[in-house]
Amino acid sequence: MTERTRVTLWRVAILVALLGAWEWLTGIKAISRMPGLYWIDPFFISRPSEIARRFVYLTSGEVRLSLWQMALSTVQSTVWGFAVGVSTGFAAGLVLGRHDRLARVFEPYIVAFNSLPRIALVPLVTMIFGFGLLAKVVLAWTIVFFIVFFNTFQGARAVDADLVHSARFLGAGERQILRTVIVPSALAWTFAALTPSISFALIGVVVGELLGGESGGGLGYLITQSLGTLNAADMMVALVSLGLIGIVMALGIKQLERRLLRWRPEHRSERA
Amino acid sequence: MDRVSFEVLEGEFVAIVGPSGCGKSTVLNMIGGLVTPSAGAALVDGVPVKGAAPARVGYVFQKDTVFPWRSVARNIALGLEYRGVAAAERLRRVREAVTLAGLDGFEEAFPATLSGGMRQRVALMRTLVVDPEILLMDEPFGALDTHTKLTLHAELLALWEARRQTVIFVTHDLSEAITLADRIVVMTRRPGRVKLVHEVKLPRPREVIALRESDEYAREYGRLWHVLGEEFAASEALR
Repeated sequence: MTERTRVTLWRVAILVALLGAWEWLTGIKAISRMPGLYWIDPFFISRPSEIARRFVYLTSGEVRLSLWQMALSTVQSTVWGFAVGVSTGFAAGLVLGRHDRLARVFEPYIVAFNSLPRIALVPLVTMIFGFGLLAKVVLAWTIVFFIVFFNTFQGARAVDADLVHSARFLGAGERQILRTVIVPSALAWTFAALTPSISFALIGVVVGELLGGESGGGLGYLITQSLGTLNAADMMVALVSLGLIGIVMALGIKQLERRLLRWRPEHRSERA
Repeated sequence: MDRVSFEVLEGEFVAIVGPSGCGKSTVLNMIGGLVTPSAGAALVDGVPVKGAAPARVGYVFQKDTVFPWRSVARNIALGLEYRGVAAAERLRRVREAVTLAGLDGFEEAFPATLSGGMRQRVALMRTLVVDPEILLMDEPFGALDTHTKLTLHAELLALWEARRQTVIFVTHDLSEAITLADRIVVMTRRPGRVKLVHEVKLPRPREVIALRESDEYAREYGRLWHVLGEEFAASEALR
């Protein structure tokens, strides 16, 4: 048995054990013939079998707003927020990273805005952009922008001056230096920010959805709706879906990183 | 540095040697325009150097400056790319350079997988492929082991014999200077001055290994070591 299969087996075993214990413990009654009294009450945490049943129901055509539609709305907003946040953060980081005076001028504004708890912006963003896709994208953007900005900024400053010099001796103009030295060199730093960025984009979007009501849609709406009907099973369906979405997105980023940064020795050994 | 003055002729191979900290790299950087002298000037073809990286000047750094995110071939292609050389012509010249440097089969390799000697070969070919008239080299083989160093000496000499660029080569390795150069500028310890400009009277083309066993080489080495040894000893004593 290879190390890999051993690890996978352990992972599966833990999952099965947890689900089994959950199912079993929420099925034991506190007093045998008394209905509704449990040691661990499924009213609050539901049960795997019930969650699976609700999952099937919510993905069926019987509901007005299916789980697929809600997940799609969440994923769409997240991807948009991520894309806009990464591109603007990267551009700003690059510009300020290469212009010292500009960086000094903007520093207090950036620090001030970044230390603002982003959740406090939700009402304002809602006032301006309403409850739809745009508001969710903006919320994700306010977080992702700064994560990517700070990393790219560091990366743009850490560019090896000798690489810039050697490019210049090979005949590079300023724009060529930007394209062939500064951008690739900063990208390595930017990539380190992408995995946390996608998680934070998802956070921003879900926060928007928790307040957004039906017009905002998404899995966050399923959560508030389940709270309204005290339906723990549906809430669990939403949480599990969010977890799966998070994993898939993070894996996608890892793949992209492996491709674009394949020149780095650490990615080489990973592949071997 | 203080009143450093020397001339290099076209097509000449000049080495600058001196104890560390004497400013020999700074002299090179002034010629390359990376450092502006507080007084005086570096003249190339009689014109003072202004701004970094004058055209027609190539620079090979001591530090590894091969771009880690580019393959060997794409590193060598850099200068041609910057100059807007057409893709077909670029490919042809890169291929030629790869073969010349003995890097066949490593075209698509990333620098992280190469040895120090191979990386420095890439850096050298990357500079030579754009055909600079003046080649500045700042201890380019300083970080390599003796065997690799000797191999690269032979390769550099062969490349130079073919093109005869003007080369200014900074080193603290006396044997390296004698092996390669027509003339050697010996600098004193800090504040660096030109102590002596020595002409190496060894015939060309030189055969790196055979040269080292010859009497002439030993004589040159002995004479220079005597001069330079004083400076090294004095600079040690200052520490």
